[in-house]
Amino acid sequence: MTPATYLRPGSVDEAAKLHDDFAEAKYLSGGHTLLPSMKQGLARPSHLIDLAAIQGLRGISVDAKSNALHIGAATRHVEVASSADVQRLLPALAGLAGSIGDRQVRNRGTIGGSVANDDPAADYPAGVLGLGATVVTNRREIAADDYFVGLFETALVPGEVIVQVRFPVPLAAGYAKFRSAASRYSIVGVFVVRTAQGVRVAVTGAGEAGVFRAPELEAALDKQFSADALADLRIDPSSLLSDLNATPAYRADLIMVMARRAVTNMGRTSTFK
Amino acid sequence: MPLIAMRVNGEEVEREAPDHTLLAFFLREQLGMTGTHVGCDTSQCGCCVVRIDGESVKSCTTLAVQAQGRSVTTIEGLAEGEALHPIQKAFRRMHALQCGYCTPGMMMSAVDLIERHGKPLTPDEVREGMEGNLCRCTGYHNIVKAIVVASEEMYAGGLKAETP
Amino acid sequence: MNDRVITALGNGGSPLINDRLFKAIGKPLERKEDLRLITGKGRFTDDFTFANQSWAWLVRSPYPHARIVGIDKTAALAMPGVLGVFTGADCLADGLKAIQHNPVPSTKYDVKLRGPDDTPVFAGRHFLLPVDKARYVGEALAIVIAETRDQASAAAEAVEVEYEELPWVADSQEAIKPDAPRLWDDLPSNVLVDATFGNVEETDRAFASAAHVVTFRQHVGRVTGMGLEPRAALGHYEADRDAYTLYAGSGGAVRQKKELSEVLGVDQKNIRVLSFDVGGNFGTRNRLYVESGLVLWASKKVGRPVKFRAERSESFLTDYQGRDLVTEVSLAIDKNGKFLAMRADNLSNVGSVLVSLSPLGKGSGLITGNYDIPLATLRARAVFSNTMATQAYRSSGRPEVTYAIERVVDKAARQLGIDRVELRRRNLVKREQMPYVNAVGSTYDSGEYEINMDALIQLGDFAGAEARRAEAKARGKLLGIGFVNYVESSIGTPKERVDLIVREKSVEVVIGTQPAGQGHETSFAQVTADVLNVPFENVFITMGDTDVVTAGGGTHSGRSMRHASTVIVMAAEELVALGRRMTAHLFDLPLDQVVYDDGVFRNIADETAWTWFDVAAKAATTDLPPELRGGLRVRCDNEMHTPVFPNGACMCEIEIDPETGSLEIKRYATIDDVGRCINPLIVHGQTHGGIAQGVGQAMWEGCHIDPASGQPLVGSLMDYGMPRFDNLPTFRNEIAEVLSPTNPFGVKAGGEGGTTGALAVIMSAVEDALLPVCGPIEMDMPATPLKVWTALQAAKAAPRKVKSEVTACP
Repeated sequence: MTPATYLRPGSVDEAAKLHDDFAEAKYLSGGHTLLPSMKQGLARPSHLIDLAAIQGLRGISVDAKSNALHIGAATRHVEVASSADVQRLLPALAGLAGSIGDRQVRNRGTIGGSVANDDPAADYPAGVLGLGATVVTNRREIAADDYFVGLFETALVPGEVIVQVRFPVPLAAGYAKFRSAASRYSIVGVFVVRTAQGVRVAVTGAGEAGVFRAPELEAALDKQFSADALADLRIDPSSLLSDLNATPAYRADLIMVMARRAVTNMGRTSTFK
Repeated sequence: MPLIAMRVNGEEVEREAPDHTLLAFFLREQLGMTGTHVGCDTSQCGCCVVRIDGESVKSCTTLAVQAQGRSVTTIEGLAEGEALHPIQKAFRRMHALQCGYCTPGMMMSAVDLIERHGKPLTPDEVREGMEGNLCRCTGYHNIVKAIVVASEEMYAGGLKAETP
Repeated sequence: MNDRVITALGNGGSPLINDRLFKAIGKPLERKEDLRLITGKGRFTDDFTFANQSWAWLVRSPYPHARIVGIDKTAALAMPGVLGVFTGADCLADGLKAIQHNPVPSTKYDVKLRGPDDTPVFAGRHFLLPVDKARYVGEALAIVIAETRDQASAAAEAVEVEYEELPWVADSQEAIKPDAPRLWDDLPSNVLVDATFGNVEETDRAFASAAHVVTFRQHVGRVTGMGLEPRAALGHYEADRDAYTLYAGSGGAVRQKKELSEVLGVDQKNIRVLSFDVGGNFGTRNRLYVESGLVLWASKKVGRPVKFRAERSESFLTDYQGRDLVTEVSLAIDKNGKFLAMRADNLSNVGSVLVSLSPLGKGSGLITGNYDIPLATLRARAVFSNTMATQAYRSSGRPEVTYAIERVVDKAARQLGIDRVELRRRNLVKREQMPYVNAVGSTYDSGEYEINMDALIQLGDFAGAEARRAEAKARGKLLGIGFVNYVESSIGTPKERVDLIVREKSVEVVIGTQPAGQGHETSFAQVTADVLNVPFENVFITMGDTDVVTAGGGTHSGRSMRHASTVIVMAAEELVALGRRMTAHLFDLPLDQVVYDDGVFRNIADETAWTWFDVAAKAATTDLPPELRGGLRVRCDNEMHTPVFPNGACMCEIEIDPETGSLEIKRYATIDDVGRCINPLIVHGQTHGGIAQGVGQAMWEGCHIDPASGQPLVGSLMDYGMPRFDNLPTFRNEIAEVLSPTNPFGVKAGGEGGTTGALAVIMSAVEDALLPVCGPIEMDMPATPLKVWTALQAAKAAPRKVKSEVTACP
């Protein structure tokens, strides 16, 4: 592992200042992607700026006015999974957080870290995009539809810090994922959301460019919200990932299977393996 | 070199170590507490599980400085003197270990699982709850039995569930 | 355990073995080794540290095959903390020799593998660091020593290796082609073994006259041991006493010492190897690794102790790997379903250098499985390729051959329209035929194959299987039932030595096996306690330090319990004789007046009696004559070639989700005949772990190589699917104890049986589940959801009308 200097700023502003000061610095949150990457030599930051200890970045609140859940960026998966508010208002999101990695990963990993990293097989991007959440940074608010750009690539600019993720409470949401036997990451995860404005479907684990929405599924479910409505739909495999776990054709089929299972199991996260 | 201070198994410790020192290696190489093992480099095997302020974490994916000022419990702190913890007794009684390499992390993870569960665990709950630990020797069969038995003993002994 | 004991003790029977007096043998005693392991006081290699220790990092080849044009150390040597950088040229200059792995199995009972045209087998040259070429991705080409591990790692990146990339070949079926890229110029091709066994002409004749011929061909893929402790080696050279000390986990320290002495050109007495707790072996640590030699040599070069610890990613590339056998078997069957003859063609991929032919040899002797097949011929070939070397891995060769024979029998049952259990029943070797000589000359010592099979049918509740299948179908799932018989052989290194030392309060047993979790400290103590009639608690086993353990064959091939129990009882007999002489001397009695009687030396004149510890205590405070001065201490050597044949049967049920292709094991049952079971707690544990390891290969594990680039695609647990808590069921296991007549206790072996049948039984279940939809399929392992889904899609595209013919019940 390449040596790096650890910094623990007291505020987001201070963190951003440190990031400006050191060209090769990286933000550290739960560390469960960054530290393994450093061990493998894939990341070699000169400085690690720990965001997890910053006051105010952690915690979950309900904004009654906008009917939304506000989750601080440094809130850990275990906290989201066990939050009474999240379980009540967005049980599928609580289930999603509770399905990430394992207990020890959930005790360290944070929502901000996951959303900033944007791993194509991570679960949170599906929840954030499916729910049409807003990513709030130290500089601006970014709509989920504008936030996810590509593989490990987001709208964040260098030094920008995620402060909070705001989830509008939908009519209902469901998440179904199919896990890799090895990594336990999602080979395919489909997050289905009913809102007053219509259905949103976000797919993770499958896309060559990371998480994406599936407009054809949304349209079908807008017409009739049932698994049957998806029966004859097929996803074009041409832009799907290929790896040891799955071919694009298999992923395309799994997307439909997981979409149907999400629709059948609204109000929770269902994990298949 | 920065000074890192924490409480390990109830004792205040302080050592110089580079910032990028992982907690697992701080324990092993700075403190000489070699009971905590490292089996992989992708945070999957769970051989390195310790508890920080009561929460189980993978110490190979936590910087030692991140435990600064906090309370760390390792396998060396599980027994109270000569008196083995119920999980240790159960592992021995049920032959839940063979080579013993995964065992420390396995037991630290299991104790955390049992304490948070609020009641004795079923085999299925153990299999789900222990997903972050790998064993290559036992096929898990006896580990599941041992954790179930230990959970029954711990709750019969008056354990109250901790909430995270 | 049970009363199905058919044989009296064989020629090795000892008066010290008396079942009625056993207090420890056969009991599920808690393990002696556990206390240190559950309290964090284990002694694994990386737990040891020398003062002033430095760190090693290896420069490894990124190419599967490349000529080393040059290695420039300049930049690396200038890096902070660097103490030295050494290459293959430096090894040569210092006169280091290639590792002598002794790769060809050599007991009287091993099949004789030879090179093409009956030439001696060429093994390649396994230098610590090569000079000419890199022959696989990950091969160490230089070693960097620095003050810290980070510094060594950083400096290793600064070592500039100039490569000339060469054409490469990884797949064994490509590597045997005459025009394949060649690894070694010493051979005309990559084929290093080509030998044929059995009666070719008569087998041909049987095939020509057979009513049915059924053929099965499959590649049993490559896996890695994945012991959870990454490899490590700590070397220290002390110039003042010209002494080398190595800490390195292995399957036997004595072998490591001998081979290191050859490599380093150092007398064995100047080398000490220590191997205490080992975090998983499964065969992968039984052969010497280059790093063990390198840390010793480098320690001498830099004048400091040197430690190497592998990253898990390095282990994936450079731990000796397992399996990788292409097998084709054909069965000739008469019109009544009786097997007439078989032909097999096995091709083993040994990797870049030959480390062991055990996988090929072991399988060869067992090619007819549990069945009475009068004729067989076998062609066994081995080939080099640009991959990590393979080695005997958990049950070496036997899962592969069981897979071949059991899958071809399943296929035959389908083709002949005979129930698969019934077809097996018609052909099993019968109890009355024991000892049975199979068609390639292996003598099965004992076994009750049909009784095992019937017991398994009960244990696995075959009668309820169709109801469970229907219930699964109602939930939209496909349930498949797998069923397998197996027989395996345990041969292994023939020599073992023990020292037995009785002291005032304890018995010490010094022996040269090296467990990695198999519980030798417990089971060997059980044997010693009962043969001497001393308390189990007072017996202690010493292993793993070559300054104390002077000889020993190590732990592999299920040899340890059999060899240890035999040599311990032989030593105990000598110890009794010595004890009588000692007692006579200490108490001033004529020798013929002292008798030994179940742990007590008795004066027949007045019935005074002394226990072992009484005698030892008195001896310790007495000035003894020269012939007794060593105290109650004997050393005994034994050489035992005769193999034993553990056997059993297993079944499993797998449920497939036809939408996703995912698989779930719902039921798994085994009957394992291990011969005498010394500790059922330990034997069951071995079975559980063995099952998981075999199931892992069948369902998740694979060291895949990119066919386009030759690069390993699997470098971490992110890619390598492991058996986990939530993908295995609770097992149902029973132990059968049909004693072997070949050794005093009747021990066979218990370490490998779980694995031996697992590959075949999983694939048998997968095939059975898919049969109604897909018809007969031949799927390579691992049976991933992707492969199952693909098979189901193909069936959807071209539906086959196949009715499920496979019944679960005889």
